[in-house]
Amino acid sequence: MHSLIQLSIVVLLLPLLSFVILIFFNRKLPRRGDFVGVGILGTALAISLYMFWTVIVQTYDPAFKLAWDFTWIDFGNVPGVGPLEIRMGIFVDNLTVIMLAMVTLISFLVHLYSTGYMAGDKHYGRFFAYLGIFTFSMLGIVLSDNLFSIYMFWELVGLSSYLLIGFFFEKQSAADAQKKAFLVNRVGDIGMWLGILILYSQFHTFGYQQIFDNLAAGKFTMSNAWLTAAGILLFMGCVGKSAQLPLHIWLPDAMEGPTPVSALIHAATMVAAGVYFVARIFALLTPDALHVIAFCGALTAFMAATIAITQHDIKRVLAYSTVSQLGYMVLGLGVGAYSAALFHLLTHAFFKACLFLGSGAIIHAMHHEQDMRWMGGLRKHMPWTFATFTFATLALAGLPLTSGFMSKDAILASAIGFAKVEGGGIYYLIPVLGFFSAMLTAFYMGRQIWLVFFGESRTHLKPAEEHHGHDAHAAHGAHHGHNDHGHEEHHGVHEVAWNMRAPLVILASLSVFAVFSPDPLDGAKGWFMHMVQTPETVVGRYTTEHASANLSAPSALMAESVQAEPAHHTMTDAVPAANPAHGATEAGHGESAEGHTFSDHRQAELAHESHAAHYTAIIISSIMVVIGISMALIVYAFRIINPEKTSEAIRPLYLFSFNKWYWDEMYEATVIRFSIVLSKMLAWFDAKIVDGIVNGVAIMTRNFAFANGSFDKYVVDGLVNFTAFFVNTTGAVLRKLQTGKVQTYIVMALFAVLGYFVYYLTKLIY
Amino acid sequence: MLSLIVFLPILAGLVILAVPSSQKQVIRIISLVAALVQIVLAIVIWRGYDPSLAGIIAAPGGSPAGSFQFIERVPWISLDLGGFGKLNIEYFLGVDGISITMVILTALISTIGVLSSWTIQKQVKGYFILYNLLATAMMGCFVALDFFLFYVFWEIMLLPMYFLIGIWGGPNREYAAIKFFLYTLFGSVFMLLVMIGLYFSVIDPVTHNHTFSLVAMASQENYIKDAILGPDNVFWRYVAFIVLFVGFAIKVPMFPFHTWLPDAHVEAPTPISVILAGVLLKLGTYGMMRINFPLFPEVFQASLFVIGVFGAINIIYGAFCALAQQDLKKMVAYSSISHMGYVLLGLAAANSEGMLGALYQMFNHGTITAMLFLLVGVIYDRAHTRQIDKFGGLASYMPVYAGIVTVAWFASLGLPGLSGFISEAFVFVGAFSSVTTRNIAIVSVLGIVFGAAYLLWSLQRMFLGTRKPDAAYDLEVGSDGHEHIHFHDWKGKLDLDGRELAMLVPLTVIIIILGIYPMPVIGLLTTSINKLVTVLSPVVLTTMN
Repeated sequence: MHSLIQLSIVVLLLPLLSFVILIFFNRKLPRRGDFVGVGILGTALAISLYMFWTVIVQTYDPAFKLAWDFTWIDFGNVPGVGPLEIRMGIFVDNLTVIMLAMVTLISFLVHLYSTGYMAGDKHYGRFFAYLGIFTFSMLGIVLSDNLFSIYMFWELVGLSSYLLIGFFFEKQSAADAQKKAFLVNRVGDIGMWLGILILYSQFHTFGYQQIFDNLAAGKFTMSNAWLTAAGILLFMGCVGKSAQLPLHIWLPDAMEGPTPVSALIHAATMVAAGVYFVARIFALLTPDALHVIAFCGALTAFMAATIAITQHDIKRVLAYSTVSQLGYMVLGLGVGAYSAALFHLLTHAFFKACLFLGSGAIIHAMHHEQDMRWMGGLRKHMPWTFATFTFATLALAGLPLTSGFMSKDAILASAIGFAKVEGGGIYYLIPVLGFFSAMLTAFYMGRQIWLVFFGESRTHLKPAEEHHGHDAHAAHGAHHGHNDHGHEEHHGVHEVAWNMRAPLVILASLSVFAVFSPDPLDGAKGWFMHMVQTPETVVGRYTTEHASANLSAPSALMAESVQAEPAHHTMTDAVPAANPAHGATEAGHGESAEGHTFSDHRQAELAHESHAAHYTAIIISSIMVVIGISMALIVYAFRIINPEKTSEAIRPLYLFSFNKWYWDEMYEATVIRFSIVLSKMLAWFDAKIVDGIVNGVAIMTRNFAFANGSFDKYVVDGLVNFTAFFVNTTGAVLRKLQTGKVQTYIVMALFAVLGYFVYYLTKLIY
Repeated sequence: MLSLIVFLPILAGLVILAVPSSQKQVIRIISLVAALVQIVLAIVIWRGYDPSLAGIIAAPGGSPAGSFQFIERVPWISLDLGGFGKLNIEYFLGVDGISITMVILTALISTIGVLSSWTIQKQVKGYFILYNLLATAMMGCFVALDFFLFYVFWEIMLLPMYFLIGIWGGPNREYAAIKFFLYTLFGSVFMLLVMIGLYFSVIDPVTHNHTFSLVAMASQENYIKDAILGPDNVFWRYVAFIVLFVGFAIKVPMFPFHTWLPDAHVEAPTPISVILAGVLLKLGTYGMMRINFPLFPEVFQASLFVIGVFGAINIIYGAFCALAQQDLKKMVAYSSISHMGYVLLGLAAANSEGMLGALYQMFNHGTITAMLFLLVGVIYDRAHTRQIDKFGGLASYMPVYAGIVTVAWFASLGLPGLSGFISEAFVFVGAFSSVTTRNIAIVSVLGIVFGAAYLLWSLQRMFLGTRKPDAAYDLEVGSDGHEHIHFHDWKGKLDLDGRELAMLVPLTVIIIILGIYPMPVIGLLTTSINKLVTVLSPVVLTTMN
């Protein structure tokens, strides 16, 4: 076993150890054992960073990968299949190493932050235990080398998300939200599971690599529609976990969980697991499946952005912003911008975690006020939070010099390229929605910054009746001694302590462009895009008809020119080793000596067009961001446009956005009501009809038995009695003959003898 | 060895007979010791079992030795029937892969049941005698390899069950007991006819006599061609298959023969519910795997789709019915129906993954559902009600109980890392891989969502939030300033006590271990399952005829 594999197993198991220690012993440990959680995560982080150093910095090889597996279940010699084993194992490549470092880093920072934020909570120790099992499950997803174990860890992060959303379980809304999250995710999971079943039923393996090899070798025997279906169904897992349309409804409600949890799970890591999973199976997605994914992502990005602009709750705005950004990543994968989407995953993880932890600091300082309408002027009281929050906002909005700018631009450039390759028309909707959402993002984040940090405090404006209703923290054990922030202006609002401040600073500094690329305008020049490169499709042979139909003559020429001029390619940097799985693709379009080119026409073309659209995307998105921020300033800073009056003027639109496009109401009225009514009907059917038949049969049997009994009593027994009576009567008559007197018998015998003689003589005569 | 493990409980019952009925504690301890020894014996059998031997049918040459293990075989009843020939009934025990896990499960659940019976106060002596009789009959069913012997154990089982529900049950116990008794008796009467038909259709390859041996019956070449249930008599073979199937399906219980189960569970005392759900239901599907399918493989192959559809109905219908229940125990009973549907679906897949999933699901359902019923019993003992809406906020006041409930509930809804997931997963894998049941599998995955729905909903209503205004307990502020709850007339410990933990913790540990590394159980099954699939496969049938 390679030492890096051993290390990754240690990293995987450390958080589980933290969970086991803390769930059983937190009450027996000093400080409820928080140092155990923080210490263990610190160790895991150190190991992950060491792995990062070895693999990303020292090796610096895009083709790096390691794998190790073991027999988990041995089915023996299965009839019709042969020897069958279910293997599980660990797969480590550059992406894995980057994800490991990212997850352990954010998890560590959130552990640290929680020692401040959760201090004094009734279940303080349990909180760290849950964080431990979450981190374990998340790392499991990252390290899995097969669909079965990723599905297992997938559901386990669902469990930890369930436990953490409902951490304040005494609150009805938290208990509702945790149930909703788990069930909505399960809907996505059954799709994912069916996708896994399609692939397993074909190849009798769950391993990614084995599935890719089999696909590349053309061993998929079902129709191509099933292959596309498998891709879309697997993507359904991502739709659930990464909160894409139409299963996004659980994520905003998940903000019922403690804010550090929102940062770790519902912004940075778990929700990104969906995107990571789609990336892992990227090679088997057919163009049709990718189209579905692209549209799903684009619509999600747009929808969530339109909702975010009207929300009042500081965490809800960030939640919808998360949904929107996840939409970007999904869109990116759909349009083939594999590296860009994953790049955005990474950059987003840092700045969004920073934003959530920042909002946590604000909420903490404001004594659990979450409504932005009653905030304002906080920049004076919380300079550190203000600075980091603002920088992260700029990254989210996508301003130059931030990490978010590079990753978002790369996705949007690919979206333009994709629309071109697919022949325009409806496909231009994807970049258009993407750019429009970028503008909305700039607008709602500008609004948020202004409402929270600028102007004067509006605490006193809060209506009295709402005052304590919002005190969500009541159940969580008041550790502030008093909650009556009253009408005094920002009573006691102050900057948070170092253990909550340090994570903010670290995360904000990781959102600077220089961390990822020397050129602030081009992420492709950085290490990430070099180390994480688009895998080649293994389904080209199943979709060649489709691909050639879409290849117009000029673009086909361009595809050739890509090979002639590798310098035009996004993946300019050399890729020395080819992925062996890709060896089996069409001949004649193989690897060129200088650079990575795709043997698949469609992929080659996408790469080329994306590169060509790079500057177009930069220009358009910059314009969009400037418009968005200016609008926010016009409305909220200079108050040239009154937001209240505007929202009155466009009331239906405003309500549509404010009520989140009425998704919850729609599900409530359809799926949920239908299920409950159906369950009641079936229970009635079971009790009255099915059991009614059983009881009916019983009653009929009983009645029949009674009837039978009567028959028995009066007819059968009557016959018996009659026989008895008859015999009795006859007997009585005959008895008269039996007098007991010898004389009578002699007379009778005489008559008998006489009778015989008469008979004999008669016979003799005739 | 097998005789010992079968008859040990009834020996304990005989000893109890000699103990005066006032010595309740002695009676309990005798039963517990017998049950613990049974577990030890089960472990000895488990360790001595060679998983490379297949079972299911006889070894080449017709002898069960070399295929089955721990065989005990002596002639039992031999009657000369004149013109009908000789009636040979054997005392024939043995285990293979499909029974070894059930033996372990039965020993385990019987012991848990004894612990759970500790709170029974009414007529303790009679109770434990019947309980031990039941334990013997259940174990006997799983190891009997002679159809007649199996039938004897099968019928003996009904009697103690009838009285255990009818005397120690809830308010409506007599209705439930008679319903259970008549329903299952109805199923088994026809089984008797099929059994006799089979006897006259099968010849033991070694002795060349008619035989009740299930091992001989499982090989189609032992059938007389033109006998009543011989290969030529297609019609009667179908009739026999259906009759047997209904008999076993009642026990599973399969829709539409399931309505005795909720009634029996609701009325039965906790330990009897545990036995009923943990072991008795498995006898239905075990009977299918041991008798119904291998004896009539061609009919089985023809009915895969129908069996699969019934499995899917069980899964989804059971889940919906569970969603609507107000009584927690009834909800768990319907969840049993739903989960046994997975077993049927896996069997209908007729491939190794599906069959293995089904058998593993039988084991896992045994442990998980036993836990669910124990946990229902815990709260019923305290609150004297099982109405889901009469609770609320229990997680704050009974944290250990809430923690174990959470594990059990999540195990039941198939959370990965807990054993139920793996078996359900392989049922789906198998069902989807078979073209016949593929569409059924696609529909059945809905059960995954609705299974989660009723479990999470009940969890929320009982354990999360705060105490409901009309809850079955009072809130009071203790001397330490913290809030506590108080059940009326409950003198024991508020949270789980030592005896309850002794029942629940071992089950929890088993569920977690088998959820992470299933090979300890699956390793015992694979050879037999692969053999069973071969025996049932149409290829073998065509080459035979």
